[in-house]
Amino acid sequence: MAPEKIKPPVNLSVLILFGLILLSLQLMSSAMQESSELSAMYSWLLLFNTLGSVVLLFLVGANIYALLQHTKRREAGSRLTARMMSLFVVLALAPAIIVFYFSMQFLHQGIDSWFNVEIDRAMEDALELSQASLDQRMRGQLRQTEQLIDKLEGFSENAATLEIEHLRELSGASEMTLFSRQGRIIASSSNNPADILPSLPEEHIWLQLRQNGFFMALAPVHEHELMVRVIVTVKSIESQYLQALYSVPVRIADLADSVEFASARYQEMSYLRSSLRMSFSLALSLVLLMSLLAAIWVAFISIRNITAPVKELVKGTKAVASGHYDQILPVMAQDDLGFLVESFNDMTNRIAQARDETRKVGVEVENQRAYLETILGNLTAGVISFDETFKIRTANQAAYRIFRVHVNQFVGKTLMELVETYVELVEPLKSIQHLLENADDIWQQRIAFLGPNGRQELLCRGTPLFSQEGFRVGSVVVFDDVTDLIQAQKNAAWGEVARRLAHEIKNPLTPIQLSAERLQLKLANKLDSSDGAILQRSIQTIVQQVEAMKEMVDDFSEYAKPSKKQSVNVNISHLIQEVLALYTLREGIRFKARYQSGLQIVNGDPVSIRQVIHNLIKNSLEAVGLEGLIEINVHRVLKNNTDYVEIALYDNGAGIKEDQVEKIFEPYVTTKVKGTGLGLAIVKKIIEDHGGAIWVDNGRKVGAGFIIQLPACNSELS
Amino acid sequence: MPLLRNRKRFCQLLLMVILGILSFLVSGALFSAEIKQGDIAKRSDEYFLSVNIDYHLSEKAKTALQNGVPLYWNLLVKVQKYPGFFWDKTWLKVAKRYQLQYHALLNMYRVKNEDNGEVHSFSSLSSALELMSVIIDLPLINKALLDPEHQYLCLIKLDFKRDDLPLPLRPFAYIDPQWYLSSEWTSWPLKK
Repeated sequence: MAPEKIKPPVNLSVLILFGLILLSLQLMSSAMQESSELSAMYSWLLLFNTLGSVVLLFLVGANIYALLQHTKRREAGSRLTARMMSLFVVLALAPAIIVFYFSMQFLHQGIDSWFNVEIDRAMEDALELSQASLDQRMRGQLRQTEQLIDKLEGFSENAATLEIEHLRELSGASEMTLFSRQGRIIASSSNNPADILPSLPEEHIWLQLRQNGFFMALAPVHEHELMVRVIVTVKSIESQYLQALYSVPVRIADLADSVEFASARYQEMSYLRSSLRMSFSLALSLVLLMSLLAAIWVAFISIRNITAPVKELVKGTKAVASGHYDQILPVMAQDDLGFLVESFNDMTNRIAQARDETRKVGVEVENQRAYLETILGNLTAGVISFDETFKIRTANQAAYRIFRVHVNQFVGKTLMELVETYVELVEPLKSIQHLLENADDIWQQRIAFLGPNGRQELLCRGTPLFSQEGFRVGSVVVFDDVTDLIQAQKNAAWGEVARRLAHEIKNPLTPIQLSAERLQLKLANKLDSSDGAILQRSIQTIVQQVEAMKEMVDDFSEYAKPSKKQSVNVNISHLIQEVLALYTLREGIRFKARYQSGLQIVNGDPVSIRQVIHNLIKNSLEAVGLEGLIEINVHRVLKNNTDYVEIALYDNGAGIKEDQVEKIFEPYVTTKVKGTGLGLAIVKKIIEDHGGAIWVDNGRKVGAGFIIQLPACNSELS
Repeated sequence: MPLLRNRKRFCQLLLMVILGILSFLVSGALFSAEIKQGDIAKRSDEYFLSVNIDYHLSEKAKTALQNGVPLYWNLLVKVQKYPGFFWDKTWLKVAKRYQLQYHALLNMYRVKNEDNGEVHSFSSLSSALELMSVIIDLPLINKALLDPEHQYLCLIKLDFKRDDLPLPLRPFAYIDPQWYLSSEWTSWPLKK
């Protein structure tokens, strides 16, 4: 990234404006001095500064409003700006207000100190003294003029003209004039020969004169000259007025002027005291206001420039937080914040790279997981994984097939929770839970239980899972339904036994029987009657036992033979009806058969199936004895999307003991006194050879019950 | 809506300001001078103005005067075309400048004509104002300067100089109607 120029926080135009404000304030300060030439511009400067303050106030107000709006909208950087501005205003305002307060105090006290009662009184006294002095002088000159009246009495107007010159000189007046009653000049004299026309009294003087009979007043003549005008009434035949003008000595006039000037100045200042105070306060307030507003405005601009990168950073952070890692922020300055922005850009770049890599790895992991799931899903063995609290995390489809429970209902539950819902799985689930809790190493166990489809046998293998730190994080159980395998092994073993028995035992039986019969034939006549009877009984016993052994061997041979010799469609209902017809004549035994409407066809060997029905009915007849009830129900069921013909056979006999239920179908297991114990084993073999299943109905409380399911023939159904 | 409410409040504030300015102007008129009985006479080629001016000094002005503050008035005279445009030439001049001041020592009011330096003292304020009220035969303009094709107006105004007041008084003189002692412009046509 190319380095940028370092920008000042405040641009040039702002500095120029700030300079203008300072210049204006300085000019106003100079104009405050009356002697200054700028004093004439004071009002304009005041107006300009006031307008400047208003403009600044507007700018600051607009900035504050904008900041408040930004803060309200929670825009990036607004709160930082507000905090910095608040801090700046507090820091700037506090000392400024303190200085302002004390300046005002000093100012007011300073102005007040110019005035005090003593000076006030002295000024008034001085003025009064001057007035009294001048008044006394006037009165003296009035008396002096009045004394001249007598000398004018009896003079004619012409004589008075001559006499008045003498009187003026005698009195020391600068000008003396004699007026008639109507104001006509009778005679006049002046010490200044250039004065042709005497000073004429104004109208109000005449009015006062006619009222009082005399007039005296002090009047300014020129800038610094004073003159006393005295007019008195001359009582002759016709009233006349004598006006005398006395010049006030220059020294006295100067002194009076000086006193008046000082007094007037002091009075003016005293009068202007409050205005002066207000004026200075106004100027000071204006200076403070403008300075503060300008500072706040410049602070707004500066802080905005400073927080601009922070705003960008906040925006960038928000973008990153929402997952947009491609955010590149502009580097505004090569300062600390610029460095921070560069670091942020590096960080987002690296995060973006890491995200891409993670995404790639995630895809790979997902592929691997999918692959593993496919493998697990297609395994014939059930696989269930548990967490450290023995809750099921995963289970594959095979587990569902084995337990007949949907996988979704496995996940998140413990085996004990499943037990509450699936009662038929109590035994295996409890056994697995027990093994999971107690095994610290790989374990393997066969678990047999009676499921909904009869006895099932599972081969379970489990292993606890440990983390790298050695903590137990769960376990995995792999199990397989080995019921068919075990049964096949057993059947194969029994088949081999039967085949050998048939071969090894049946062959010597015939010679034994023949030899015994020959012994009887040869020796019967040679022995006495008692020995002959013993021989006959023995030979008979041997023949009977050999016959029994032959039957047993035949049974074993039958068991070993394949039971499905032919494959035809067999109507189960008809077959059962035919078999039952053979037994209905027996007294005391009641048969109750129910057939579902429709054809109940299976594909198989009718002879073998007939043998199954015969065996089961014979077992039931033996179980019920002389009296009893045998029920047969035939109907169709749908199981795992497969149609079955179900044959349920019940009796009310002695029933099957619980401990024998599991082994009842194994060869050489019988509850009867007589019998080889191969009947039910052959039944089971025939049923399984036909793709069906047989099991003991555990729900039966009275007698015994067997349920057979054979695959229905779909072609016939359609 | 806050925006509308703010706008309404702003309008109310503006109305109050306008009313304040109007009341200021109305109250200012209470103390303004009036120009009465004007007459323009033409002698030879010169126009002469005679007017009578009525002064109304406010209490504040009188108090200031009593405390030694001098008051200044300018009599402004303007001659312009009628009807005219702003670019037309206008003759404007300060015809007279008076200073009125109170002298505490003599207890007199002194009127000084600043143009020629004449000083007149009066024992009463009304007498002093009377002197300033009467203007007789004030030369206006020479006829040769005017275009005979056009009509002209003569406008007169008595302007109280607030800028000549003592500096501390000035800011308040501009906002206090009691210091508005000037007259309005009064016009008369110049007869050809």
